[in-house]
Amino acid sequence: MLDEALRLEDVYLSTNELSGTPFSVPRAVNYFENIKASKNNEDRPLIAGANLTLKLGETICIGGPSGKGKSAILRMIAGLARPLRGHIYYFGEYIPAERLTALEVAKRQVGYVLQNAALISNLRVIDNIALPLRYHKMGTEDEILKKVNMAMDLMRVRNFANMFPHQLSVGMQKRVAIARSWAMDPKLLLMDEPTAGLDNYNRRNLLPLIDNMRTMFKTSIIIVTHDLMMAKELDCSLLFLDDKKLTEPHSFDYWLHSDNEISKDQFRDLQNNPQDI
Amino acid sequence: MRKTQLKNWQKMTPIGRMFHSLGIFILKRKIGQQIALFFRTIASLFASNHNFKNDSRNIILQTFFTGAEIFVPLFIVATLFGTVVIIEVISLMGKMGFSDIVGSLMVVVIIRELSPILTAFLIAGRTGSSLTTYIGGMVIDSEVDALATMGINPIRYLVMPSVIGGTIATIIMNIIFSASAIGAGFLVTKGIIFITGNAPNLQITWNYLSTEILKALTIPDFVFAIVKPFVFGIIITTNACYQALNIQRDIRQVPKATSRSVITSFLYIVFADVVLSLFYFISYMQNLSTII
Repeated sequence: MLDEALRLEDVYLSTNELSGTPFSVPRAVNYFENIKASKNNEDRPLIAGANLTLKLGETICIGGPSGKGKSAILRMIAGLARPLRGHIYYFGEYIPAERLTALEVAKRQVGYVLQNAALISNLRVIDNIALPLRYHKMGTEDEILKKVNMAMDLMRVRNFANMFPHQLSVGMQKRVAIARSWAMDPKLLLMDEPTAGLDNYNRRNLLPLIDNMRTMFKTSIIIVTHDLMMAKELDCSLLFLDDKKLTEPHSFDYWLHSDNEISKDQFRDLQNNPQDI
Repeated sequence: MRKTQLKNWQKMTPIGRMFHSLGIFILKRKIGQQIALFFRTIASLFASNHNFKNDSRNIILQTFFTGAEIFVPLFIVATLFGTVVIIEVISLMGKMGFSDIVGSLMVVVIIRELSPILTAFLIAGRTGSSLTTYIGGMVIDSEVDALATMGINPIRYLVMPSVIGGTIATIIMNIIFSASAIGAGFLVTKGIIFITGNAPNLQITWNYLSTEILKALTIPDFVFAIVKPFVFGIIITTNACYQALNIQRDIRQVPKATSRSVITSFLYIVFADVVLSLFYFISYMQNLSTII
């Protein structure tokens, strides 16, 4: 049995792709149009030649300065943006770029927590979490409610079950979004800034949850974050997006004590004040 | 990657290549994409994990949303237009001595032409624009992306109930329009005669009007009273959803897309109306040749 959850091989992504996925256009036509547009405009590639291998049950954090395309990589893995070149393998299965859509990826049990939570604004919290379960008919109504209640308990949003998303704060919306992804039992979970907007208390609650998911459910997790301490607390490898490429994954301590440019940029405060760690 | 594409393209036979380029040519056009969206909507009904209970609830909600809020303006417009048509037709035809074709003229003007077109215009202005802003707002807030990443097909979740519910509501509203144009229009005409002391000099009774109209109704009229709003409803809702899903992450595109959705709906409706009316034109021509 294959033990890899995700593999990127020499992936190129252009900024054209970030304008959103038009679901109105047939996917193959849209793909060829975008290739033509990026050839004509001499479009600036956002990511050029990125490689990444993620094993089953492994967790990695992607760091790096903002505006370098960290979220774009997650969007690409989730199928919302398509690579110009390169190969993406999900659980050992290659999906060609012209067939790569979010629906196709979601079939392979890949969950994605968007940066702005993106809850459906006309549904209550409980219905938001139950929506994908009901759509995919994952069990009877009682089973679904049980699952939803469990997800809400885990993320501590049970008290707000009957509120609309606009009545919640940003951090709470994020927790609901994570609960929504968790309820789907994903095999690979992509998280875009999960701790942004969370206070210290809830951040500390979130980290054991992520830890539980990977130990109990063998979920592979990719976290894009500015919160580099997360990599230390989760004891997972950390890699950076630098010069349009992904670096090799290394541990937090390796980066902290290494002497290259990225470490100097990202860990300057920690290197200077080691007692903060 | 690019090499294999070229290879595939070269593998095609000349006829296959012709069909391929024709398909790409059609699918690059907006109209082709809209037709494709409609067929994908229909196809999504039969997707593997269909959930009849949820779907029918969404469709009924959409039907009420389209129908209930448009009812009052539609009723007023229908009544006033019916009044105008009844007064004009009866007084003019009476003067010119053609009082025996009053019924067929009413059928042509109200049931065949005015009712489907005006219903479609009102629904395009009300439901079409609201659908575009609603789905467009979801696109801007990346809620549609979130739906897709959860494996929920946005075409099935958002577009399919709108298209089916909107079409059902258009058919119902068209029947209500025709009925209230003749029924309530007659009452208002009577009211005008009563208030003005029969200033238009009309001799009109319900018995006369209804028998004339029933005499003039043919089976194609009943069929087209369903077919026309059916086609118009599909055009309005598909176009509205297409314009909304085409928005590219810019909040200023939402009002633009809304106005585009309404205007192009009007355009397509009039075109479709002409095409559907060809049926009557052909039958007129046949009648003309028999007369000559």
